[in-house]
Amino acid sequence: MRYGPLAIGVATIAVTIAAPHRLWAQEDERARQAYQVLKANCFECHGESRKGGLDLRTHATLIKGSATGRVVVPHEPSRSRLYLLASHADPEEVMPPKRPRISDEDLEALRLWIEDGASLEDVEEAAADDVKSPELLAKLEEKAITPEERQYWAFKRPSRTTVPAVPASAPRPWTRNPIDRFLVASMNAKGLTPSPRADRRALIRRAYLDVLGLPPAPEEVDAFVSDPAPDAWTKLVERLLASPHYGERWARHWLDVVRYADSGGFEFDVDRPEGWRYRDYVVKSFNDDKPYSQFIREQIAGDEYAPDSKDAMIATGFLRLGPEMGGGERGRQDSLDDVVTTTTLAFMGMTVGCARCHNHKFDPIPQRDYYRIQAVFFSTRGVDIPLVPAHDVAAHRAATSRIESELKPLRQAKKDIEAPYLKQLVDAEIAQLPEYLQKAWNTPPGERTEGQRLNVAQIEKTLQSDSLRARITEKHLVPLMPDDVRRQHQGLKDKIAAIETTMPPRYATARAIAEGGRQATPSYFLHRGSIDAKGSVMTPGVLSVATERESEFATPPDNAKSSWRRRGFAEWLVDPENPLTARVMVNRIWQHHFGEGIVRTPSNFGKMGEPPSHPALLDWLAVEFVEGGWSMKAIHRLILTSEAYQMASRDVASNVTIDPENRLFWRMPRQRLEAEAIRDAILSTAGTLDRTMGGPNVLPYIDPDLFEASSKRNWLGKPDDDPSTWRRSLYVFSKRSIRYPLFETFDQPNLVNSTDRRNRSIVAPQALILMNNAFVIVQAKKFAERLRREAGADTGALVDRAFLVALGRKPDATERSKSVAFVRATPNGLVEFCHLMFNLNEFVYRQ
Amino acid sequence: MSQRCCSRSADLLLSRRELISRLGGGIAGLAFADLLGRQGLLAAAPQNPLAPQPQHFPAKAKAVISIFCYGGASQVDTFDPKPALLKYQGETMTGVGEVRATMGTPGGLMPSPWTFKKHGQSGTEVSELFPHVAGHVDDIALIRSMHSLSPAHGPALFQMNTGSILAGHPSVGSWVTYGLGSENENLPGFIVFTDYRGGPINGPPNWGNGYMPAAYQGTQFRDTGSPIVDLKPPAARTPDEQRRWLRLLHELNERHASENPQDTELSARIHSYELAFRMQTHAPEAIDISRETDATKKLYGVDEQPTDYFGRQMLMARRLVERGVRFVQIFSGGGNFEPSWDAHWDLKGNHGLHCAETDKPIAGLIKDLKSRGMFESTLIIWHGEFGRLPISERMDGRDHNANGFSIWLAGGGVKGGTVVGATDQYGYRAVENPKSVYELHATILHLLGLDYERLTYRFNGRDMRLTDVHGHLIKEILA
Repeated sequence: MRYGPLAIGVATIAVTIAAPHRLWAQEDERARQAYQVLKANCFECHGESRKGGLDLRTHATLIKGSATGRVVVPHEPSRSRLYLLASHADPEEVMPPKRPRISDEDLEALRLWIEDGASLEDVEEAAADDVKSPELLAKLEEKAITPEERQYWAFKRPSRTTVPAVPASAPRPWTRNPIDRFLVASMNAKGLTPSPRADRRALIRRAYLDVLGLPPAPEEVDAFVSDPAPDAWTKLVERLLASPHYGERWARHWLDVVRYADSGGFEFDVDRPEGWRYRDYVVKSFNDDKPYSQFIREQIAGDEYAPDSKDAMIATGFLRLGPEMGGGERGRQDSLDDVVTTTTLAFMGMTVGCARCHNHKFDPIPQRDYYRIQAVFFSTRGVDIPLVPAHDVAAHRAATSRIESELKPLRQAKKDIEAPYLKQLVDAEIAQLPEYLQKAWNTPPGERTEGQRLNVAQIEKTLQSDSLRARITEKHLVPLMPDDVRRQHQGLKDKIAAIETTMPPRYATARAIAEGGRQATPSYFLHRGSIDAKGSVMTPGVLSVATERESEFATPPDNAKSSWRRRGFAEWLVDPENPLTARVMVNRIWQHHFGEGIVRTPSNFGKMGEPPSHPALLDWLAVEFVEGGWSMKAIHRLILTSEAYQMASRDVASNVTIDPENRLFWRMPRQRLEAEAIRDAILSTAGTLDRTMGGPNVLPYIDPDLFEASSKRNWLGKPDDDPSTWRRSLYVFSKRSIRYPLFETFDQPNLVNSTDRRNRSIVAPQALILMNNAFVIVQAKKFAERLRREAGADTGALVDRAFLVALGRKPDATERSKSVAFVRATPNGLVEFCHLMFNLNEFVYRQ
Repeated sequence: MSQRCCSRSADLLLSRRELISRLGGGIAGLAFADLLGRQGLLAAAPQNPLAPQPQHFPAKAKAVISIFCYGGASQVDTFDPKPALLKYQGETMTGVGEVRATMGTPGGLMPSPWTFKKHGQSGTEVSELFPHVAGHVDDIALIRSMHSLSPAHGPALFQMNTGSILAGHPSVGSWVTYGLGSENENLPGFIVFTDYRGGPINGPPNWGNGYMPAAYQGTQFRDTGSPIVDLKPPAARTPDEQRRWLRLLHELNERHASENPQDTELSARIHSYELAFRMQTHAPEAIDISRETDATKKLYGVDEQPTDYFGRQMLMARRLVERGVRFVQIFSGGGNFEPSWDAHWDLKGNHGLHCAETDKPIAGLIKDLKSRGMFESTLIIWHGEFGRLPISERMDGRDHNANGFSIWLAGGGVKGGTVVGATDQYGYRAVENPKSVYELHATILHLLGLDYERLTYRFNGRDMRLTDVHGHLIKEILA
């Protein structure tokens, strides 16, 4: 992947816009064209009738050639018999024999296709022909992994690399932490010098924003700046890693990867009111420093490891986080695709999803691996498990069915009363219908044509029992009733309504996963990814190229409630032999600390991703991670206490020339805060942040013009000045079709696809929101109130305090005099100034 | 089309010159620079992702106005006459395979309540629902053989808008602005209007940027009041105060940036406030139709019922395209059922209303674009997310049908008077020369000078395309 130059506009700056370039799809298109030319000109003889033993309809038979040998030489049209004959290269021997020469345009299509490699593998129609031949089908499912393919760096097990010896020229503190020694060695090799240490004010602000996602309070800054202890920094690091806000901050990163949302997307974007339990699970896991291996096991197969643990069951909600898909087999396949794609991106950094319809184009991922991994998840279904004791559930069920049985006769009695009036109105409606429909209605049932039968059924439904839009409803019937009947009817209605209110409220549940039993549901290899082209039954499997031996899936015990396939898959993921799992996770952690990963495409360790800038360091960290019991906090600690982490962000002219992209980490890059961190920083600075953790989400105000509510999709936002919405951004409801504008504008991912690295754009609408949005203005007022409380009435003192609270530093003389002048000269000056602080570059960047 | 500018300052000067030529010399835009007292403050600034990009090959169309009949317009009542519906009224279709009614309880064949007539030189038949559009049949290319993948609104809307029936992909408007940039940096490059009755199912992801940067997202414009949410400064802040506020912000930001002169991101963010400030003036001006003559307004049916609302939107669309906006999408119909084209019952009332609301404004747009010499550089697209069944639903409505329906295109690079493909005798399934949504999208990009196979965006390890691995050009409609 190339990182283009920064770009700006009305809209923007956007990093990472890959230059448009030639791609395989173009070859596919040419193959399709060539196939059409062959079909029109050759199939008559070299199709089903196989004249000369040649069948051009499928890739396999094309490659096999005719009785006398091959007819195409990939990439070489001038040596391909097919092309030579078709282009009349030798007038004595031409094809097709008794028809005009193939047009120049079509010949060109054949030539280009042969140049591309003369493959029909990706031509859907050709594959459809394949389906007719079972032996060819079976062959298509095979794809061996070559020894060379196993040699790719990401598929080799990371080994404990030697920490480089530190050159004598390195500054002394760079000799302690292994990370520093790796980095300084590569910097030396390129003539780069590590940046000096950042000052303490910058450091504490960096660490707070990075580890907690919140800016430090002025008192915390002062305490750190004046702490003379030699271990002041390590004490700070420990304090931050022990803070519960750490889990909130890092959960957000994980939620991007697993495309977490609180609604299902699809047509009506139905809410998942208890989806937050998974989010809380992630926060708690991170705060508890749960081993990453356990974190993986629980999400993939919590029900198979610890069915009695609420946490483990909630964790399996991971498999249900994706957007809802359409119904039927096709929809189920799409849902499974989302699970396979997300799971392999998240834990393995592999784009296995690309192998749904064909072998992976760039990486050694056979299509068969895709369907073997799909087989791991195929038997799962979503269940909402009760979080209350079983007897409470039983009591609830008993109460509900008792009430239902009371209601049933009452509802029937009401219907009986309505019946004659309904008939009266139906008859009147029928009289209004077009003649052909009346005729259908009046034809005796036995004599109706098929069309009449359908129309009568439709008339009955529309007039009487249409749940969506019954033409005749109770309100049409009641006026027709005589008084006494009406009273009796009303009495029944009241009774029904009264009983309905006694329905007990639903108990708490969690979104989880279950299977039907020990036997897995059979699933198949799907040729071209099509449900109409099923191949062999699939056994569960893993990524073949990343494992030396065939992975074994344990047989579930007799009393198991599931196939244990997911447990087998999870065990493979957390096996220390697995070359991907640890590398992928340490790289994600590194990315969030340093702005970019050692591999800059954290969910794609394949050939189309970027190679690691420091392969030995990545391996060293991966081994350290596994040997340290998969402790994420240990990796954080290692990184945070490195000199590299503490470097300044300033430009160093000589370094910029050599490594403008900071690939070798010679400085801490300046990074714009993420959407959520900007909102959290505003709340925290204003002194209004409600630090309550966990639980149901909040819905802050969104302008109704922006979300286009419908009867089935809505956002009941609370006003901006309602303090109950001033929770951390992690707790703002994530509705897939109604995005919180501040988040969406500041590049929060789309909540549908797994995202490993956020876009970082700078667009004018971001400025508009921070300048004009009512939430920001409410908070500016609160910030001003806070300053008055803390700094009194003197304008100079207020400005000083504003800088200290918002930026962690005092203003310099120029800043101070300009600011004081502004506050004094402007009506409502302090609030205006506070609002301005939220818009400063320094406020929304960490360095 | 201009190439990328080599420096930011040249770009700024160009936009100012354009501004003056486009707006007759008036209005703001210069103000921010004045207040900063300097120009070209971003001498070494990065390139603009919405800066005009070269086309892959020369093409006439430079902008798109997409008219989306949300809910699904019925082909057999508008552009695809089927006498067989009357002949076989109340009977079932034969020889068409399985007939699936999304809402269940299918009826027999239902004749159209409207009659069709031949129009123009081409003699294309159009129903009496579109008398004004019918007057332009020789300008439009009608495709009667469209088909799509899903008969459910959500997936079908996604497919029409993004190519995929699943959520998460960039919309056509995003692809076009990604491919071509915008010609006016003071306005968003991709603008969306929804109906006064609400928005479509799926909501804003219909015009979302999917996995692309936010720069390519559709911006919703309101047709009354301030066009963009959060565009205007808080009421208590006077223009003068806003100026002072922005000046101090700028000074403090510049001071901070001066310590890091090579950080282009910081300067870009400073510049974004300049753009935001300019947008505050440009956006309301761009849709201020009070500046139009009465004759023009009349053309669009503005100030008349039932055309006033949609007429205004059409007129605003023209003004936006005139100002260099790349893609304008207008949804007719909103919410669920009655307020959209989703005529599950009372087809007559439903389509009667929606056609009456949109017919004259659409024809007005074509006339107006022609008289301004913009017709050849603007591509107009008309479609819903699918068509409707020839059989009845709920006695007098029609259910969804993705097997065959009609759409049309007009303007830049489109061969007017063309009719492509045909449905079967009932109008149920596209049988002759069927065209998929991929083909439509490939053709839209092509008409704009973009090669649908070369326009790619890398995401999660794949070079994504609007048409995925599919698509052919609909060559029949290319002029």
